[in-house]
Amino acid sequence: MEQIKAPGEPPSSLARDDLVRDLTEILEDLTSDWDTGFSGSISAETRLIADLGFESIDVVHLIVTLEERFHRQDLPFQALLMRDGRYVSDLRVADLSRFLEQNLAA
Amino acid sequence: MHRTVLIGLDGVTFKVLDHLAGRGDMPFLARFRKQAVRGALLSTPNPFTPPAWTTIATGRTPGEHGIFDFARVTRVDGVPRSKLATSRDVAVETVWSLVSRSGGRVNVLNFPLTYPPRPMAGNLVPGFVRWRHLRHSVHPPELYQTLCSLPGFDRKELAMDWDLERKALKALPRGEYEDWIRFHHRRERQWMSIVRHLDENDPADLLAVMFDGADKLQHLCWRFIDPDLVPAKPDPWEERIVELCRDYFRQLDRFLEEIVERAGHEARVVVVSDHGFGDTDQILYVNAWLAREGHLAWSGDATVRDDDQLNVDGHADPSSLFDWNRTTACALTAGSMGIYIRQAARDGEPGVRPDAYASYRDRLVHGLLGITDRQGRAVVRSVLKREEAFPGACADRAPDLTLVLRDGGTLSVVNSSEIVRARAEVAGTHRPDGIFLAAGPGFRRGDSVGPLRIVDVAPTVVYSLGLPVPVDFEGRVPGEILDRAAAPPVVVGGPTQEPVAFPEQANETLEADEEAVIMRRLKALGYVG
Repeated sequence: MEQIKAPGEPPSSLARDDLVRDLTEILEDLTSDWDTGFSGSISAETRLIADLGFESIDVVHLIVTLEERFHRQDLPFQALLMRDGRYVSDLRVADLSRFLEQNLAA
Repeated sequence: MHRTVLIGLDGVTFKVLDHLAGRGDMPFLARFRKQAVRGALLSTPNPFTPPAWTTIATGRTPGEHGIFDFARVTRVDGVPRSKLATSRDVAVETVWSLVSRSGGRVNVLNFPLTYPPRPMAGNLVPGFVRWRHLRHSVHPPELYQTLCSLPGFDRKELAMDWDLERKALKALPRGEYEDWIRFHHRRERQWMSIVRHLDENDPADLLAVMFDGADKLQHLCWRFIDPDLVPAKPDPWEERIVELCRDYFRQLDRFLEEIVERAGHEARVVVVSDHGFGDTDQILYVNAWLAREGHLAWSGDATVRDDDQLNVDGHADPSSLFDWNRTTACALTAGSMGIYIRQAARDGEPGVRPDAYASYRDRLVHGLLGITDRQGRAVVRSVLKREEAFPGACADRAPDLTLVLRDGGTLSVVNSSEIVRARAEVAGTHRPDGIFLAAGPGFRRGDSVGPLRIVDVAPTVVYSLGLPVPVDFEGRVPGEILDRAAAPPVVVGGPTQEPVAFPEQANETLEADEEAVIMRRLKALGYVG
């Protein structure tokens, strides 16, 4: 995580790759026994709800997991996850990594 | 440490227990009553599972521990937003942590607000966590595989299904009652199998286990459980439901007996509930009232509901119900009974200005107390201001106002064409009076005492273990429950520690504390000067 850029700096592809890799590991671990029928491998384009079978309470648990992993409780997940008061239905791993990239160094 | 068992029975009342013990449905309880001291246990001002069990687990009132609901509300630019509350929102040290850093071991099962687990010496399976997340929620992590190998273990039965719970808070069609009740029979068996496993393989100085099925059954089936409401001439379906509910308590009685027997004659046993129960026959649609009075404007999402829906569907943010440019007060969840006031973040922005807050809130209180039902009865019995009801470091997390309704009933946050609606069936709802029973060396036997406070439970448990009672606990070890001739003296100790934000930091603290304990022991043994 040391290579994460501060907000406003050009994104480093390495940092982004690290984040995607971290997120992939977290999601593989989290969903490994969910019996959702997802058989592919998780990548930047994987969708949490449509592909991994997330429900809204699972998103809440994912946030807790990420906050624990990154030692931050103040990340503005609301802005990423909610649209008009409902959880966005097409959130991808890449969206999460971009969000973390922009906010972890803040 | 003196072995101690804390048994939590969510929502259980003496009215029901005594009735069932008298009928012969709970024979162990009938005997246990004669060995124990008992008294009513007054819950938190908001008698709900999250604040009340957190008070039991911390010895602190909600204003200090910071838990008011299953949701944690924070204000973003003055707008209240809610998210799932977790163990990290508990602002003070738990008894589990205190015992751990005092050199003891704790097994904690099914307590709310224990996810994600904080480091402790012992085992923890949190309550109110969905099955998909159990694997990452238990402590230590390897315990999960052990649980999976227990005969008959089913993680889907053990864990919480929020959608099912919410559904049953409304009402269920007759055809779904039996499955719902039987599910809770099975669920308690799951928890009991973990109690057995830990007792046989990794017993602790303190076992704290909470059975929450009674609360779930009573919400839906109170009219089949309360001895005053059970149908005098039940139809066959009603008769079956009454028996199934009694079966739940019969099973609970067997579990209580087994836990107490496993603990042994020298152990101390404390049995508590977080609140009592009573009947309710109406729902207050408080946001509909706020809208009618000009305090709230609905967003386009807020369709009018004509059922008994209490909360928004799923886990959507209830803030989405409102047009925040035109809303100054709202209720976000039924579970807090609270109203949040939107304060203006800056001059010229929507919301109540700081200098107008007190008078605005007083106007709200006045209006709320004036709400009546069709019979002309006042629906709101009292309105609690947060600094009065919840003084403490976390008072600002509390709703600005907390409602206490005429029949102890609940409010709904959804849009409705009526302000007060009669329920189709009498339901169960929380009341302040829970139960307290304590038995074992040093406790009085077979006596009743006056009402105790829920904040007294943690000091009693800590005392029972033989530990000094932290000076900053808000409760006390009630002298009236002790057999003065046999009870050891109450020793007051140093303050609790602040919880740390993340497990790694907690590990460091725990390790440092363990080191200190080891050093003290070595000194006591003369190995270290």
